[in-house]
Amino acid sequence: MKRRTMILSGLGAVAALVVGWGVLPPRGRLGGPGTQPLVAGEVGLNGWIKIGADGGVILAMNRSEMGQGVHTALAMLVAEELDISLAKVRLEQAGADKIYGNVAMFVGSLPFHPSDAEPGRETRTVRTGQWIVAKLARELGISATGGSSTIADAWDVLRLAAATARAQLLGAASLEWKLPLAELSVKNGVISHASGPQGHYGLFAKAAAATPPGDVSLKAAKDWTLVGTPAPRIDLQAKIDGTAPFGLDVRLPNQLYAVARHCPMLGGGAGAVNAEAAMKLPGVERVVRLGSFAGSTGAVVVVGRSTWHAQQGAQALQIEWRAPPAGVLASATIVDALDRSAREAAAAQGGLAFHSVGDVAAASKGAARRVEQLYRAPYLAHATMEPINCTARVADGRVEVWVPTQMPGSARAVAARAAGVSEDAVTVHVTYLGGGFGRRLDVDVVGQAVRVAVETGGRPVQLVWPREEDIGHDFYRPAGVALLQASLDAQGMPIGLAITSAGDAVTPRWMERALPALAGPIDMPDKTAAEGLIDLPYGIANQRMAHVATHSGVPVGFWRSVGHSHNAFFAEAFIDELAFEAKQDPVAFRLALLKDAPRHVAVLQLAADKAGWGGPLPAGVARGVALHESFNSIVAQVVELSLQGGRPRVLRVVCAADVGTVVNPGIVAQQMEGAVIFGLSAALYGRIDIEGSVVRQSNFPDYPVVKMAESPAIIETHLVPSTRAPGGVGEPGTPPIAPAVANAMFVLTGQRVRSLPLLA
Amino acid sequence: MELSINGQTRTLADAAVDPAMPLLWALRDVLNLTGTKFGCGVAACGACTVHVDGQALRSCVTPLAAVASRRIVTIEALGTAAQPHPLQTAWLEHQVPQCGYCQSGMLMAAAALLAKNPDPSDADIDAAITNICRCGTYPRIRAAIKSAAATLRPALPKAKAKA
Repeated sequence: MKRRTMILSGLGAVAALVVGWGVLPPRGRLGGPGTQPLVAGEVGLNGWIKIGADGGVILAMNRSEMGQGVHTALAMLVAEELDISLAKVRLEQAGADKIYGNVAMFVGSLPFHPSDAEPGRETRTVRTGQWIVAKLARELGISATGGSSTIADAWDVLRLAAATARAQLLGAASLEWKLPLAELSVKNGVISHASGPQGHYGLFAKAAAATPPGDVSLKAAKDWTLVGTPAPRIDLQAKIDGTAPFGLDVRLPNQLYAVARHCPMLGGGAGAVNAEAAMKLPGVERVVRLGSFAGSTGAVVVVGRSTWHAQQGAQALQIEWRAPPAGVLASATIVDALDRSAREAAAAQGGLAFHSVGDVAAASKGAARRVEQLYRAPYLAHATMEPINCTARVADGRVEVWVPTQMPGSARAVAARAAGVSEDAVTVHVTYLGGGFGRRLDVDVVGQAVRVAVETGGRPVQLVWPREEDIGHDFYRPAGVALLQASLDAQGMPIGLAITSAGDAVTPRWMERALPALAGPIDMPDKTAAEGLIDLPYGIANQRMAHVATHSGVPVGFWRSVGHSHNAFFAEAFIDELAFEAKQDPVAFRLALLKDAPRHVAVLQLAADKAGWGGPLPAGVARGVALHESFNSIVAQVVELSLQGGRPRVLRVVCAADVGTVVNPGIVAQQMEGAVIFGLSAALYGRIDIEGSVVRQSNFPDYPVVKMAESPAIIETHLVPSTRAPGGVGEPGTPPIAPAVANAMFVLTGQRVRSLPLLA
Repeated sequence: MELSINGQTRTLADAAVDPAMPLLWALRDVLNLTGTKFGCGVAACGACTVHVDGQALRSCVTPLAAVASRRIVTIEALGTAAQPHPLQTAWLEHQVPQCGYCQSGMLMAAAALLAKNPDPSDADIDAAITNICRCGTYPRIRAAIKSAAATLRPALPKAKAKA
């Protein structure tokens, strides 16, 4: 039995035991009129849609807004199906019901090659695997904003919820007016009939709740008036006048402020603490020692009258830090070990072969020439603009937290554990997130804040990590290494490609922290460190893509585009090397290898056309290209780059993408721009070094990111029209930028840089 | 201690503040003016940018003692939805913010730039806007500053523009 099949049978058995077999219609996720709490005047039509007395729509918002525009995009889906303006859709945080869980994110974590998972043409293994995971995810109902999955997950369910609500409202109007349903129309939430009667949704809501929807169909794409348009985002007014409420902006009566100081050694803790000097400072209220919460390093927290008072106190503490019980961590040693693991596995055809076709060993024997290179990438921190924080109140047996989180259910669970109460006694308020990028899929700070709030006699307390604590105690993008081995024919074209990568598995470590109830005693195969290498589109006859999953002890987490973030650099820089070896143009070379990948061809061709690939450039300017698929979307980028004082300066980025059906092209363009700049910071500067278990970087001066002066002045986004279901948007723009830049640098310098960051 | 903030004199209880306390924390934690953000604490990111006597200043490293008799303006007084600053109008027109956390500081830095330079070049913008945005809104910020600048100087006679 193939290893993949074996894994799936195991999963299937578990799924069947837990939930039984059955079908999974989107209707099963509509919920009921009472799924969300109602306030006076509101009528619930299903778990997603309530109608206000004013005729407005209240949408249960189950995803976090961290800049990626999902509050606007999800509201657009609902406004479209309900024929109401976006301005009349109000958002309300969704509760803890399982209908709000994320199915698409978990299905997206399956390690399938995209060519086996083409919608409508899935292999039996893929279909089975997707069904099992969807069923499990549906039963578990884990609310998560991540994996570029929000629109994909909502696409069927939310539109159906809105269309069903509309059908009920129209049905109620038809009954009340005794007029045929087919003769009624809706404009901006007002139902009318040509003979005169009209009224807004609020007037029919109560009756609608008791009216069966009948046959509900979704609008055809040709009838959309909002979906597909660059509608202005609904969250921006508050974000330009200082009123948008982020986690750190929570202000409650009698609120205290707290600052965390973690053991500098990752995984360590506090020994003896001398708080005498700190407690003598004005405005310092108390000192709380913290153990580990959801993966956090041990810390000492000072509570004070203001963040500054608390910070003064934290600096005045004298703490004997205790080293972690496990061995000392050093990133250089870890990366050396990854090098060895990759080389040894490659030599022995070892590692877990996620993708294998033909016979790479035979191809290698028969090759006219072989090319082999080792690529490396460092650990990275997220550095969200809003520092890590959570506000908590523990009073009268109840816990309330206000937190910028991507995982409200996990936040609730860790809060309950920290306070020793049941989850029912915990309320989680999700604020705006000042950036997420995967960091806020972890909920360590929630446990910490609640534990501190247990000590403050019912007074709410806002815990913040100074930036140095954030950079020094992140869940890092794991370091990664890949050995890429190509076998070339006499013309220099690849007949074999073996990629053997090594790096820490992310998912099992994250599950242990954020979803401990689901974490198993052994690591299931995890594609997150290998994705972007095991799923390449190139039609090379013999391929073996294998990965060695390691467990270094460094706290690792999801970082925007996860494994793709470095693996696209490895793959696409190496493909560029092969184009050079074949003496071919990098675009033409890729197109020649993409005969069975028409979507990739369209995207690459669009980027090349819009960038004027092959056309003249000013002296000292070069182009570089990269193409990468991730999160069911394909992105190609062409950069124009010059060297200024030896340092690369990206002047222009042309980005082409096939992201499936587009809900809001304006937001897609924003995300592509942002993803490029996020990836560019990592490509040029990003590195976290660990020595003696201590992270050497601490704040923006030594963990630099791209600023205005280094930002490309022009980032163009061009979308390939598509009628496919929506793919991801938030992450797929990040992976291609590092290889595109590296490939352009090679044109200018003749040197290949095979290790990130490019400016080491 | 008395501070002039957004055109009003605000009295801060001596017990609540300290001359060494950075302005940022007096604004955020004492006066609940939370539009000004904490990002790095070392004047590296600009999320805490406010105007002091018309100059953009990073409030996370500016002690209260240094601003006691000066005119402080925060994002809360830059403009409103009804009466926006031209930069705010341009920010919406260009759909600039993503997560939005850095945008108060970006707007305050841009407003200080335009106040003294109504026609900033790309180099001027690079030099004045050294704030950090992790979402990568820089190209839109650049474009929005330029369009706000254009609306702020409609009266420039053509002859002068040529000269």
